[in-house]
Amino acid sequence: MKLLTHNMLTSHVRGVRPGGGFPLRIQATEVKVNNVDFNQEFVARMIPKVEWGALLEAAESLGHLSDLPHQLPPEYENNEDFLRKVHHVLLEVEVMEGILKCPDSGREFPITKGIPNMLLSEEEET
Amino acid sequence: MTWWILGLKNIKKNQGSYAVFKMEHEATQLENQHVHSVYESTASYFNDLQSKAWPRVRQFLLEQKPGSLIADIGCGTGKYLNINSQVFNLGCDYCEPLIKIARKKGCEVSVCDNLNLPFRDQCFNAIISIGVIHHFSTKQRRIKAIKEMARVLISGGQIMIYVWAMEQKNRRFEKQDVFVPWNRDLCSRLLSESNQSGHKSDLEHTVKKHPQQPVGSECSYPINRTQELDTKSSHSTDHCLAKTCCMKMSEEEENRFYSALGKSFRSWFFSRSLDESTLRKQTEKMKSLKNVGEWANSTISIQPSRHCSLDLGHRGPLLKEQSLDDDEVFMENASLKKPQWMTASGVIRDLNGEHHGVVQSKNEETSFLSGPVENRDNNCTYSKDEDGKSTTSKLFQRTSTTDSTDSILDEAMAVGDQVVDILDTKAFMRYYHVFREGELCCLLEENVPELHIISSCYDHGNWCIIAEKIAK
Repeated sequence: MKLLTHNMLTSHVRGVRPGGGFPLRIQATEVKVNNVDFNQEFVARMIPKVEWGALLEAAESLGHLSDLPHQLPPEYENNEDFLRKVHHVLLEVEVMEGILKCPDSGREFPITKGIPNMLLSEEEET
Repeated sequence: MTWWILGLKNIKKNQGSYAVFKMEHEATQLENQHVHSVYESTASYFNDLQSKAWPRVRQFLLEQKPGSLIADIGCGTGKYLNINSQVFNLGCDYCEPLIKIARKKGCEVSVCDNLNLPFRDQCFNAIISIGVIHHFSTKQRRIKAIKEMARVLISGGQIMIYVWAMEQKNRRFEKQDVFVPWNRDLCSRLLSESNQSGHKSDLEHTVKKHPQQPVGSECSYPINRTQELDTKSSHSTDHCLAKTCCMKMSEEEENRFYSALGKSFRSWFFSRSLDESTLRKQTEKMKSLKNVGEWANSTISIQPSRHCSLDLGHRGPLLKEQSLDDDEVFMENASLKKPQWMTASGVIRDLNGEHHGVVQSKNEETSFLSGPVENRDNNCTYSKDEDGKSTTSKLFQRTSTTDSTDSILDEAMAVGDQVVDILDTKAFMRYYHVFREGELCCLLEENVPELHIISSCYDHGNWCIIAEKIAK
């Protein structure tokens, strides 16, 4: 599970307050780092879609915060250095084994072989 | 009367939240048994197939802007996740075995439920839903699935939905709620025939590689004995065997094929729709089947045809009510007056079993499919009357597809006399709700106002729509 994916994921357990299921807390037992080709334009376009705070939090929990800034720098589209760091965190860091935990309900979703399983039981469904 | 039908009758009496809950539970059970379990059991077979992408879906994906976030909801083994490398593709499926296969290909995937997508609102630029919605067993669930996808779609983003059509090229499903058998023995039969003809196919190789694995396939279509390959064809092999189903049939095979149709239709099992609104008095003939799951036993019925009211935009149904033999599940009897869309492209058999009008010629296809599709008129009057007839005044024209591949349904037809026996046993039954013309559009227009339909067409035996999320 890449951190870009994680940035979209939310808990949807019945009873969770609106927005209360995001972002999921990562408890990783196995993290992998891949080499992914850097595409500057691609990364620049991804940034507006990302919840920046959640990304920072997730990166930090995996020890890959590096020196990502707390705020988005102005005119980041041309800031290659910055974009490369974002690229690394969004696309190269992968959680292979671990747990995603709903901040509101505490419900845990497993990640196995890089695949998060977000299925709910019938009782938990909204 | 089975417990299931009694249960539904009780539901009808006791309108209320308990009844709704019970219906949901029934729906979930049906889908667990006849969608999820089947895909899980047969997942390893999908792994071996060469899956090709449907051209229109490919096009849709390639048209998305670089840097887009695209979700494939119901991605299976990830056939569409590697089409466009300029976008970020995320695949979701309920079936973990299929997702594992996709993962091995390097795709970013997760196990999810379409009815409860684990994504925050408005995060995807585009979504595809190819051959998924037709697996939901009630109208409410189909609506919920579409609304969930609309929820996670960015304003201005587009969604493409493909569902199996009730109206197929040469015939149509008699009922909308269908169990489709999946037979593992059939595949080896096809292989041995293929061997005889000396014509190797990819399928043959893959099946030989894994003799121990279930290799069931619901599709069984004539083995090509000619050299010709329709190389333009590329379509989903989630339901069929990759190359061979696109091949042209020799005349001998075509005759065998159609002579087997009558017998094989006993194998098509029709369930009653779980939708309360479709509960009505019908005459039914329940046939018990060997080796079919408990659920299937109670819901399967083979419906003699009573209605066919496909409306192409003309007023009123084109076919009057006909009564057919039990075996004539599809409206293929030449004595019937055929609706225009069938005769335009269709195969009409005379008593000698010869074909008039080759189904697979490009010209035929064009005449049947009359130009670009427009959704001019938003006054959808698709409705079901008491007898379950449907009419629509939507002017849907169909776009032409350049290849003449048969639909998923055609590929599921059985070949040969022994096939029926095989299909009766060792079958994984997959549930489908096949869509009438106009039904999908009406479903959106009446229930999903946040989506605005951009285009609609008929493609490879499916109804396809592209819709856009309306900006607030």
